[in-house]
Amino acid sequence: MDTLAFARGPLFIATMSFMVLGLLRHIILQTHGVVRTLKRTPHQDVPWGRIFRKSAEWIVPVSHMSTAPWMKLASILFHVGLLLVPVFLAEHAFLWARGPGVNLPTMSHEFADQLTVLTLVAGIFLLGYRIFNRISRELSSRADYFLPMAVILPLLSGFLACHPAWSPLPYQSMMLLHVLSAELTFILLPTTRLVHVVLFPFDRISTEIHWRFVPGAGARVAETLRGTPEGAEV
Amino acid sequence: MAQTVMHEKATIRPQPESEKPRFPYHLINPVTENRVQRFLEAFAAIIEHTNYKPVLDQYARSSMKCSSCTTNCPVYTATHDAKDMPCYRSGLLLKTYRRHFTIAGWLRSKVTGDPGLVEEDIDEMANLFYRCTACKRCTMECPLGIDHGLMTHLGRWILGELRIVPKGLEVSTIEQLHGDSGNTSAILPHALLDTLEFLEEEIEEMLGLKMKYPVDEVGREFVFFPAVSDYLMEPETLMGNLAVIHAAGDADNWTIGTGDFDGINYGLFYSDHVLERVIRKMVGEVTRLGGRRILIGECGHASRTAREFVPVFGGDEVYPVINIMEYTLEKLEQGKLDLDPNVITDRVTYHDPCNIARSGWIVEQPRRIIRSFIRNFVEMTPHGKHNYCCGGGGGTVSVDELHDFRMSVAGKRKA
Repeated sequence: MDTLAFARGPLFIATMSFMVLGLLRHIILQTHGVVRTLKRTPHQDVPWGRIFRKSAEWIVPVSHMSTAPWMKLASILFHVGLLLVPVFLAEHAFLWARGPGVNLPTMSHEFADQLTVLTLVAGIFLLGYRIFNRISRELSSRADYFLPMAVILPLLSGFLACHPAWSPLPYQSMMLLHVLSAELTFILLPTTRLVHVVLFPFDRISTEIHWRFVPGAGARVAETLRGTPEGAEV
Repeated sequence: MAQTVMHEKATIRPQPESEKPRFPYHLINPVTENRVQRFLEAFAAIIEHTNYKPVLDQYARSSMKCSSCTTNCPVYTATHDAKDMPCYRSGLLLKTYRRHFTIAGWLRSKVTGDPGLVEEDIDEMANLFYRCTACKRCTMECPLGIDHGLMTHLGRWILGELRIVPKGLEVSTIEQLHGDSGNTSAILPHALLDTLEFLEEEIEEMLGLKMKYPVDEVGREFVFFPAVSDYLMEPETLMGNLAVIHAAGDADNWTIGTGDFDGINYGLFYSDHVLERVIRKMVGEVTRLGGRRILIGECGHASRTAREFVPVFGGDEVYPVINIMEYTLEKLEQGKLDLDPNVITDRVTYHDPCNIARSGWIVEQPRRIIRSFIRNFVEMTPHGKHNYCCGGGGGTVSVDELHDFRMSVAGKRKA
């Protein structure tokens, strides 16, 4: 079995399984956290309506565009492209048929190309924003530069593999780079901050329920630390 | 030993580095030995016994450090200091959590050699968590909904277990929970009675009407808890409260309790443990007096703590909580208050308190009251849920050493 076949076959299945199981683990852990939070506090009503409204508001954050509008526009485009292109690209249809056995609709090549270019431009803009914007730069660590690049790479390599005339590498090499970089993303998704792809629905749940404190917890903390339920102030 | 100092941002005459004390506020007997270990022990105990773990997991896993929060933070927009970024400040706690309380963090430390929490981190947290006014304006702009106000609260609680708490907050709390007066301003019951008598005389002189503050009356609907400092510093507010309640026909329907007459709860700012005990004290007083509802004065944080935490910490007795502005509007709309719109002709605006406005709880009520007796009302921009902090939020108003920071940084921007 050559390297590309191995990457497309067993390695793909292994990394995809790792991603699915890893993301499921996060969903289960976070769901458990929410249930545990509510069980331990007497204040148990959850404003689901407000949670859905707030989540929807941030999926398309038009009401938040007044501050850093270009960054937010780029972020929307980047996320839309990252979600749509890998899922609905005609060349990926066989992956869906081979794996879960579903036949998804596909997008035209022209549209896929346009969306990919837009996504790449948005991704490069976001990376540039992190590098050249002082505030963003001061907050960023190495991982904050690495992750966007890791996510952009499969998109860029896939685009170049589809357009061999522009590719600096032979088709086979570019395709190998595309598959391996995609598989790296599969591994990064559950192990880095990219996990927000599945934790996003929990963001607003947390915001709504996290001030639900536990009766008696302060005294138990004091008991653990000082052997008495008295506060630290005495 | 108490340690003194102003934060370098707020110091008029720069001090040499070697002379600078470690904290921008006075402390009472802070832990000085094994601080890293003690910090981590406190963090571990809090994680074990509370609901913070899922929130820390959520934030530590998904925080993208996109810097959106900075555009809304009044402190950062005043200083442009990277350390005043909400994400940076919360990141100190999240980094510690990730490193010491997650398997991934532990594994990463084996690869990178990250030593984890060090003494300097504790000092930095002690400084930065008290440069946050906990106004929660940043949360509105965070795509992932990270509540930096909660992180500030948690960080301060952990520090509090090392007795790294501004003296102004801790002394008041000690008096409220353990002192003879039982309140943050150390007003003894007989002093309260003298003050109330004085205010009754003042109001009679002003309005020509005899009104009484009911004290320790049993079986009344409302038990009243203002910020106790109002008895010392804002008597006009209390006179106004009396006049409104009297005019609304509730003169015999409320009482002040001498067992507890303080709505202030500094636990909101630095400790769940303090928060719970102050709430239980309040609920105990309402039960003693056979009251049915808790009426809070104009104070924002007192209103929020009572409303949010009486249902959590109040035990079986979940008394409904109402703020004086809600009460006033209710009576106004029932036609029980007749206000003359021609008395005040000056231009007036209203600055929303973060603790009651940010959630959207009390935004319209004060405006409807104001418009009923003031014709020249103008709004600031922004206002309501989007207001700017006055600068005294998060308890900083009660810490004298933070006065300059409050006036020149945290409260610099109002609109």
